[in-house]
Amino acid sequence: MLKKLFPTLGRFRFTVQIIMLFVTVYGGALLGTYTVDRISQALPSLSCAFDKQTGDHCILIVNQHQLHHRVGEALAKAQEVTLKVFIPTLMSVGVFFMFFFFLNKAFCGWVCPLGTVQELLNKIGRRLKRPLHQFTPGNVGRVRPVKWLMLLVLVLGLPLLAGMGVASNELGDPFCQVCPSRLATTLLTADTEQIALRTGTGINMFLGALGNAMFGFIIIAALAVRQPFCRICPLLSWNALFQRLSPMRLVKVESHEKCEKCGVCEKACPMDIHEIGTEFGKKAFHEDCTLCGRCAEYCPDDGVIQIKFFGIKLFGSSREYYKNRVKQESPEGMPKKRVIKIAVAMPDVNNG
Amino acid sequence: MKRKQLLLAILLAITSAPAVASESAPSATESMAVMAHSGHDHAAMMGMGKPTSWTTYPTLKVKSSGESRERMVSTVVPQNIVAANVDAYSNNLKDENAHRQLPLEMAGAKLDKPATGGFQMLTAREEVGEAVRVASTVYYFGERGAKNPTAMLMQQKNELEIIPQPYPREHSRYRANEEWKFLVRFNGQPLANQKLAFESQNGSQSEWVTDAQGVATVRIPDDFNQDGAQKPAGGHDHGMRRGADFVLVTELADSGKTYLTAFNASYGADAFDQRNLAMGLGFTLLGMVSALPLLRQRKQAEKKAAEVDAGKTEKDEV
Repeated sequence: MLKKLFPTLGRFRFTVQIIMLFVTVYGGALLGTYTVDRISQALPSLSCAFDKQTGDHCILIVNQHQLHHRVGEALAKAQEVTLKVFIPTLMSVGVFFMFFFFLNKAFCGWVCPLGTVQELLNKIGRRLKRPLHQFTPGNVGRVRPVKWLMLLVLVLGLPLLAGMGVASNELGDPFCQVCPSRLATTLLTADTEQIALRTGTGINMFLGALGNAMFGFIIIAALAVRQPFCRICPLLSWNALFQRLSPMRLVKVESHEKCEKCGVCEKACPMDIHEIGTEFGKKAFHEDCTLCGRCAEYCPDDGVIQIKFFGIKLFGSSREYYKNRVKQESPEGMPKKRVIKIAVAMPDVNNG
Repeated sequence: MKRKQLLLAILLAITSAPAVASESAPSATESMAVMAHSGHDHAAMMGMGKPTSWTTYPTLKVKSSGESRERMVSTVVPQNIVAANVDAYSNNLKDENAHRQLPLEMAGAKLDKPATGGFQMLTAREEVGEAVRVASTVYYFGERGAKNPTAMLMQQKNELEIIPQPYPREHSRYRANEEWKFLVRFNGQPLANQKLAFESQNGSQSEWVTDAQGVATVRIPDDFNQDGAQKPAGGHDHGMRRGADFVLVTELADSGKTYLTAFNASYGADAFDQRNLAMGLGFTLLGMVSALPLLRQRKQAEKKAAEVDAGKTEKDEV
């Protein structure tokens, strides 16, 4: 039954993504006004607090507010920085980690509403036969540090400085002001408030204009580039800090005896992580990995790439699975026309 | 308790005797209104009901300052009402702090954050003769995993009640030009066709009527000055959005008693205040246009796409 419903890991992940898109964008409307207060308020994905119907919101807004209103203000007043000040921040991180522990960076690849929206747009781009721009190892190396810069400056630095009175008060939540998920999720609830530019001050206007322009760029770029914003998302770097502390892992064999370095996994990776094809062992589980599992799906060698939880294999690459998978979709995400015919004639592709 | 409240009311009435002498049974509202214009505020000195300038109806003002930056302690100040204490209802009905009576001090009643945090319903009650007056409001203590407050809000606390349906959750608030629902009940039963008076700090007044289910849909007025002279809303708005207070009031006479209940809260300016939709869309379009070159089919890309489509990259397919 389950195999018929979810013949591939990709189908299963897509179903989870759609369910989570509804929970994170419309969860409050579906499950009750106060749902957001009850789940975590520290979700490891870009679920937006400005969406009035969200079921839960991401940890980054909490971090910015705590650094702005608690830590920064306490430091500025030269008060004794007690546990009273830091406990709420530690609590947020603790709650975040309770979630993160079980899914690790799968929050990016399976839960994040902005990730799902970008992936859907890229599927549309493939259908429309738009070109697919993949990052070369050189290009991807230049982009990777941006996510750390976003985390340090927009999520941690400026809110802290605003709390200390060094930076303007309007810089209390600068990342939220430029976050494309704020616009994507609120527009999905037919709320146009957030896309309207804030004109109160010059800083408001500058950040708003930057955020709107970036949002516009991303929704068009996603048609031709896989996960364009994920590459610079501060939550990707934030999650990377905790990546090794979760028992949910992407595991690749330690030597190249089994791996033929064919490079198909690299082509399948939506984050263009070349290390998955060239490295082995721990190095293959890169900080940019969103645990989407596509590399394991498209690895043609048995047991080379696996997703494990506490050492237990949840999914592993296999030649048979690969053969069926490429009949439906190319590693780059291009759908195969004949798949439609196969699906009509033989719904269970795994059983031939 | 009632005797104590009565004594306090008599004491207040004595202190303001010259002003209210002509009234046979002065209501506390009138007493407070009079005191608001006198230079000597006995009620405020006793911490029992500071007058407000924008309304004569009873309200509860929750103030946060100093230590309460950590949001652990707040002060509840009854305004235009003579109450012995403030009743605080926690959203966790099974908690030992589910219902607390907070004693009034000079500055007001200290409201500690209960372990469960979340939404707190606050009420203050005054009984003078056959007149019962109630002030009520909702206060939120930031708390992860706080219980859903719906059951607490629906719990009967006084005879005549105004219950928000729902109260805005965290990161949300009442705002101008929005419609919000309020249930009006008497002894736990919804009151159909019951009138509600609305007053705002910015001077708006309006009247609303409940439907057959006892629910009134109130439209929050857009009454902020264009010059932005009003105070900032504070909170998570980082001082950039404006805010003011409003009060909803309903009155009822039953079995020789008169009941007046008020519910007050703050509201913000319109969602699009200090926002420009056209400019927002303009910058979004600018971003979209700048990404358009990525969608152009180049010859090389076309060739590659054709290769991909033909499945040449799949080494073991055939």
